[in-house]
Amino acid sequence: MPDDWDKDIYQQPASRTPAVDKKTGLPNPAVIVGKLFYYSVNLLVTTFREWVERQRQKNKFYYYHQHFRRVPDITDCQFGDYLCYYEAEMQWRRDYKVDQEIIGILQERLRACQQREGNSYVQNRAKELEQFKLGAKGYQSRYGDLGAYGSARRCLMKQKHRMIEERVKAVSEA
Amino acid sequence: MAVLSVLRAAAALVVRRSPHKLQHLAGNNLLRAFPIASKVAVRLGSNGKQMFAIKSSQYYDRRFLHLLRFYILLTGIPMAALITFVNIFIGEAELAEIPEDYVPEHWEYFKHPITRWISKYVYDPPEKSYEKMMALISIETEKVDLRQKHLEVRRLMRERGDGAWYQYETLDKNLIDNSQKTNPDY
Repeated sequence: MPDDWDKDIYQQPASRTPAVDKKTGLPNPAVIVGKLFYYSVNLLVTTFREWVERQRQKNKFYYYHQHFRRVPDITDCQFGDYLCYYEAEMQWRRDYKVDQEIIGILQERLRACQQREGNSYVQNRAKELEQFKLGAKGYQSRYGDLGAYGSARRCLMKQKHRMIEERVKAVSEA
Repeated sequence: MAVLSVLRAAAALVVRRSPHKLQHLAGNNLLRAFPIASKVAVRLGSNGKQMFAIKSSQYYDRRFLHLLRFYILLTGIPMAALITFVNIFIGEAELAEIPEDYVPEHWEYFKHPITRWISKYVYDPPEKSYEKMMALISIETEKVDLRQKHLEVRRLMRERGDGAWYQYETLDKNLIDNSQKTNPDY
């Protein structure tokens, strides 16, 4: 079953249920429908789910997040040291995956904001918008157009070209 | 067999033509299956004429679908049962912090129990493939190194001439006859 969203991050606004002030003697149809639904569907599903949970409690086991040691980067490798290149490449790939997940999470947050606020998300959720913009800009400048065959080496070359362009721009402005 | 069926067809034709006489004549063995057409009670549900609807054969289509269902469900049902039981009775793992001084096995990084089982019993640990790749790279690095050194050594030995290679045997200088050098050329 997919997890529910993190309730601390996407906070629902506090609900304001009015105090019941019945003026009629007739029963409330919403309550009747609610009770019907509860007894026909909700109870069955909940009991089944609890039975399944009890079966699962008998053999519990855990999974962990893997911690990888940091190895020297590709810039810290000697020329021609192919082992160092390989380890740096693997580390770069892991970092790429992590960055993809980070961008995904920022996108999800923005999407949740937009869903809740509707069209007023631009003012109400400026913080999330800023975060996403910053993250997306950084991601684009670092991993942007590397393509399917991206590697640590090509990323380094991309950085080199970026720095050359910055230098040229700084010289031309000065 | 073909002869018999021709015989039966001929007998049916004859019986339909002259029902009474032949039933008593032939010993009922061959003609038993054919009721006399005028004496059979025909029950019509509606008051309509009986029609013979000419359709194409559905035998092959039905056979195909039957076999398709059979072969899909042959492994499908056990697999579905297995996956249901695993999901209900074993359930997925929970995320936990790695305890102190504990190095988890490589299958303990997965959530679903079937993935864990596959990782434990079928696949090699990722550390093993990493190390295998590193071993191949180091072998290739050594090969590159040695080949470079080989070329360099060849170049230097050829250049300097004091090595083990590029030594060419020349004649012994005592074998040279220098007697004609005493007379000038004119």
